[in-house]
Amino acid sequence: MLRTNQVSFRYPQNGHGLSPFSLQISPAKLTLVTGSSGSGKSTLARCLMGLIPHLYNGEMTGEVWLDGERTADLSMWQLAQKSGMVFQNPSAQMLAPTVEDEIIFGLENLGLERSEISERLERYLTQFDLAEMRSRSPLTLSGGEQQKLALAAVVARQPQALILDEPLSMLDTTAALALIGYLEEQVDDGKAVAIFEHRAEYLAGVEGVNLLDLNGTPAPEITSIEGLNLHPRRKFSLEIEGVTVAFGDHTPLKNLSLSLPGGQMVAIVGRNGVGKTTLLRVITGLQKHSGDVKISSPAGTAAPDLGMVFQNPDLQLFNSSVREEILYRIPDPDLVHYAALLDALGLRAYEATPPLLLSEGEKKRLALALVLMRKPRHGVLLDEPSLGQDSHHKAILVGLLRLLADAGQLVVITTHDLPLASQADRLILLGGEGVIADGEPAEVFTDAHAWGKAGIKLPGWFTDQHLGADV
Amino acid sequence: MRVSQSGRTRQVVLVNESPLRRADPRAKLFISLVASFVVMLPLERLAIFIVVYALFLTWARLLPQAARQIWRIKWILLILFVLDWWLIDLDHALLICSRLILLSGVFTLFFSTTTTRELSLTLEYLRLPYRYAFSLSLAFQSLGLLDDEWRAIREAQYSRGAVRETNSLRRMLSQLNDLISLTVPAIVLTTKRAWSITEAAYARGFDSPHRRPYYALSFSWIDGYLALGASLVIGCLLFLN
Repeated sequence: MLRTNQVSFRYPQNGHGLSPFSLQISPAKLTLVTGSSGSGKSTLARCLMGLIPHLYNGEMTGEVWLDGERTADLSMWQLAQKSGMVFQNPSAQMLAPTVEDEIIFGLENLGLERSEISERLERYLTQFDLAEMRSRSPLTLSGGEQQKLALAAVVARQPQALILDEPLSMLDTTAALALIGYLEEQVDDGKAVAIFEHRAEYLAGVEGVNLLDLNGTPAPEITSIEGLNLHPRRKFSLEIEGVTVAFGDHTPLKNLSLSLPGGQMVAIVGRNGVGKTTLLRVITGLQKHSGDVKISSPAGTAAPDLGMVFQNPDLQLFNSSVREEILYRIPDPDLVHYAALLDALGLRAYEATPPLLLSEGEKKRLALALVLMRKPRHGVLLDEPSLGQDSHHKAILVGLLRLLADAGQLVVITTHDLPLASQADRLILLGGEGVIADGEPAEVFTDAHAWGKAGIKLPGWFTDQHLGADV
Repeated sequence: MRVSQSGRTRQVVLVNESPLRRADPRAKLFISLVASFVVMLPLERLAIFIVVYALFLTWARLLPQAARQIWRIKWILLILFVLDWWLIDLDHALLICSRLILLSGVFTLFFSTTTTRELSLTLEYLRLPYRYAFSLSLAFQSLGLLDDEWRAIREAQYSRGAVRETNSLRRMLSQLNDLISLTVPAIVLTTKRAWSITEAAYARGFDSPHRRPYYALSFSWIDGYLALGASLVIGCLLFLN
């Protein structure tokens, strides 16, 4: 169906890309391609779809064959008749003003009769449980619903092959499991499905998966934060008292009270829209709210001073080198602290590199460096820090966060990543009505009632690996 | 209506309860374009037309939308009015401001009652190649996202100390440098999103020469009367003494 013969590609901007790689993707089979950050998963996916070389300039060698024809010899619309692609960011692939228009867009391009388009529209709206939201703007859907819609829009074109570039990375556990269910149906239908994904564990329960690994350059290890000049260890706790945030009719946080002592790594878990990010914004003072947020210590109370690492590092990066980026607007920078940060976050080799040329994992670490360079007195808040990170980068991140917590800082993360949450000291499960469960991760994970109430399904591979026979 | 993360509500774009919502977008575009020619009229006739147009918008339940558009340029209107009155005369100040008010309100009729899909179709019917019609409608669709992204960038830069919140005019001027910390991420995010959309569109056969539109526009007799009525009113104002 789809095969590559020692295909490789280099992007002209930074020379990154894909080293020569051969693979075969067969009908009625699910092929999982894993690999570390920077190993070229997305590049290979684009080669298979034909976006490379049709939309990208760069140095390409080798060949990609689709159904016996070289993809370089076919035009994009011809390739799109036989294969379809779903991308990593659900909202960035929404093209139409309504859900049904999103599906119709691809069907119009096939040149189908109006009656055939109507028939397929109804069929796939029903198959993907989208009928009730057919008139809504795709941009008002949750990430899981958007990804489901993107898949429906591609599947409705009835391609023989489906290529998915990290389709699970931005989804919560429940949405990820649902998407895999839809993909299994496509395999049963005889389609060739290729998934390029970090979160390979989600496919552990799927039968007959063909596993391929793209090896990348291993990321550096972090063993200590010696040299990091953190604020001296003092006992404090962040007190959140009766916080309410309302957006019109929607009240994501209602009379929320929490006490978060310094020296802890706290994970906040919950479905999309329950107010995880809003809570971080409240703590940093970016979000208007009622209620009180303060630091309480034996010396008295004070305003919190916590740095925030945003989900999307591109929001913050604009300087011409990593060095300039980290030192921007830092009066009398502590260069010993700076050097230690570079080493701790594995950024030493990129000191002169423009930040926008870094990989996503490197950008995330740089965003953390910006925050730590400001030496926030009470700790750091990280919004979905593992998003788009491979397991190795995640291990580095957790190692560093653990060291910060051990140094007395408060570390708060929001995440959909259950293995990451399981490594925290404390897990807070948020639901529509506020805190559903709060305690040590091992204790919270065994509370099946709480997870049911939060609308989160714990995947089998997770309970097997992390909780043993307790659940 | 969407509520953004910071809780600010986005502008309601489409007025579904307007009787013009179901009218053919070509008729609405025609009325808007013809009405915009009225800015050439002298002050008295311009004032009459503004009153007639305001009555028409009231019937179409679009007056609040038009008022909102005009309110957005209140400072420009005020400055122009004062300057023109001071440097030329009151009549000229009134004429310039009336023209601006008319121009800012006139396209409310089209954009408050037309979806981006209808916009794309209208442009296609006007013989604009599909790829340009699609891109233009997509750009309109994405306008709301720009607002959200700009706010997100501002907050992210503020939280790292790259921009400072201030009310002092002198400090605001000294902070022009902050613009670079806002515009570079804005350009990067917009470019990335545009590229992602391009990839998604091509992966669904955007460049197919066999495309067949699912939707069609139909010009009914009501649309004809609307266009004719607008032409008559404007013709009378232009040519009758």
